[in-house]
Amino acid sequence: MLILQILVNGLVLGGLYACIAAGFSLVWGVLNIINILYGSFIIIGSYVAYFTYNYLGIHPFLSVTIAAVVLFVFGYLIQAGIINRVVAAPVLTTLTLTFGLELLLNNSLLVAFTADYRKVILENPLGILDMGGIIVPLDKLATMALALLLTGLLYWVLNASRIGRGIVAVRMDREAAALMGVKVKQIYAITFGLGAVMAGVAGSVMSVIFPISPLNNIVFLSKAFVICVLGGLGSVTGAMVGGLTLGVIESFGGLIFGPEHAMTLSFILLILLLIFRPTGIMGKKGYE
Amino acid sequence: MNKISSKKIVVVATLALGCFAVLSSGIVAESSQSVIRFGAPLPLTGGLSPEGKKMQNGLDLWAEVANKAGGIKVGDQRYRVEVVYYDYQTSTPRAVQLAERLITEEKVNFLFSPLGSGATKAASGLSEKYGIPTIAHSASSEEVYDQGYKYLFGNFTPNQTLTDPLSDIVKEKLPNAKKVAILARNDLFPLAIANCMDASAKKRGFDVVFFEKYAIGTMDHASALTQIRAAKPDWIFATGYINDLILIRKQMGDLRCSAPVVTMIAGPAYKEFVDACGPLAENVSSASWWHPAVRYKGEDVFGFTQNYVKMFKEKYGHIPDYAQASASACGVIFQLAIERAGTLDRKKVCDTLASMEVMTFWGPIKFGSTGQIISLKPPVFQIQGGTQVVIHPPEVQQSELRIGVK
Repeated sequence: MLILQILVNGLVLGGLYACIAAGFSLVWGVLNIINILYGSFIIIGSYVAYFTYNYLGIHPFLSVTIAAVVLFVFGYLIQAGIINRVVAAPVLTTLTLTFGLELLLNNSLLVAFTADYRKVILENPLGILDMGGIIVPLDKLATMALALLLTGLLYWVLNASRIGRGIVAVRMDREAAALMGVKVKQIYAITFGLGAVMAGVAGSVMSVIFPISPLNNIVFLSKAFVICVLGGLGSVTGAMVGGLTLGVIESFGGLIFGPEHAMTLSFILLILLLIFRPTGIMGKKGYE
Repeated sequence: MNKISSKKIVVVATLALGCFAVLSSGIVAESSQSVIRFGAPLPLTGGLSPEGKKMQNGLDLWAEVANKAGGIKVGDQRYRVEVVYYDYQTSTPRAVQLAERLITEEKVNFLFSPLGSGATKAASGLSEKYGIPTIAHSASSEEVYDQGYKYLFGNFTPNQTLTDPLSDIVKEKLPNAKKVAILARNDLFPLAIANCMDASAKKRGFDVVFFEKYAIGTMDHASALTQIRAAKPDWIFATGYINDLILIRKQMGDLRCSAPVVTMIAGPAYKEFVDACGPLAENVSSASWWHPAVRYKGEDVFGFTQNYVKMFKEKYGHIPDYAQASASACGVIFQLAIERAGTLDRKKVCDTLASMEVMTFWGPIKFGSTGQIISLKPPVFQIQGGTQVVIHPPEVQQSELRIGVK
């Protein structure tokens, strides 16, 4: 029973992780940009959920739409206005740029909201699902389900829409895509915006589970990193597999080695994968 | 028309001059009074900012009350109190750097420690190096005071003065209780008090069936709580700071992880814990070094404990918890020591602190040979009806321990 509960805990957590990483993987895989701003985008999504719930009474599961719009516009403008100027530069250049932007953004969030921890406390909690002794909090389950749904929606958009095929084309061959009439710079901005949307959506749905503070940006960013390496870069499926795998590993790692080592375990895994299977579990390079 | 305008101008100008004279005489008077500067490195932002701001509230209140009463009396002269704050952003290395800057660049006369046992220990070497008396408002772990330093004093009794009475009470109320589960934040104070709990429990015949640490910044405790639930303990003891404990309590509720007795240190002492946890806070027990229910008649600027509580409430709109009171207490201890020493000479003030025995609104103050206070009887309390209610010591007991936590 204990093992089953640990497994369920891990899968639920992993579903949340998948949503965290999907946008990060997309931007890295398609634009070759390591978006250090990503953690703060998640935090902004959480704050959108927090303030709309406390001041407008909008449930966080509904305020994902508001978070999506806010973050898309924000991400699009950052890419179009700033990052596009160096998008063709080596990855270290764009990493340094996003690092600098992250310092600005995160410190702005600290000034605006302080470092105090906030949390969305639902007036009507969803309760608990008891499956013969296996306990699953319904808010976590609902959050996981919504997160996976939105990740699936991203996958559908990327595969079935014109913009989505444009994104794939740019990733495969930028010059060829340009020759085929794809507006490359616009695609870059849309991709970054979509990545920001996924971050905002993840932040919004997770606001009912995790505390909200600008200080948590590093926690989310580091999770996204590990998941992308685990699952494979630039792949929504890879982010899902990586997220679920990390959730289960952390859950069982806490059981076997103690809760204090759960985070250490994820980074050891990161290093081992980079050495032996740098393309990740899915084994795909780039975005397909 | 011109004559009226001129008159008006003269009247207005005279009034303005008069106001200016009154104001500037105040400023001049203020600046002509000598100042004693106290350095206070605090985490005003970052993960421990809730606790840091409590300390700032306590120190600000003491400074305000002391100045209203004329300041600190040193011989025949009165000195205004000034507290110089630096925000070290919950980074311990920065706490050490800024503590040193307060001493060497701000040239403060005396120092309050950073927050918590970890940061206090890290910065404690500076007190000795520069020979500056330092009072720690939030460090209880004996590891802070066993370094042989002479200039460091602490306002909290050792951790076992909390865990021993707790263990006695649980043993008495639940004689059949056997199993204890301990979950500790991997940080100096939370781990130290968890180790004391382990020792106190074992000394009284409890079996510690689970004792694990969680990393700082952990956001999901499901794995640990699942294991605790499987162990079916009679008593769950969790340590951390307020943000950790709110998260743990909520996740305990999510996973139906509970026990007849649930104790958490140090979150339940704060109103924020009760507000954030709602019904989940009910019957959670804890211990701290002070409670508004204690009744002392002090020789300090606040006098009675009730008076301190009243003045705090008037300034901040709510009653104080032990963190705020501790900071204020450190201020009054410094004030009493300086006044008794009759000098600002650091060595003499330090010697006075070491030998002083005095009653304050916080309680009786006497420091042991290590500099840690030895005179307090920390209260044990439980959240009952949404309020922290004292269950020990008998002198201030308000209720009995209730068994059963949601």
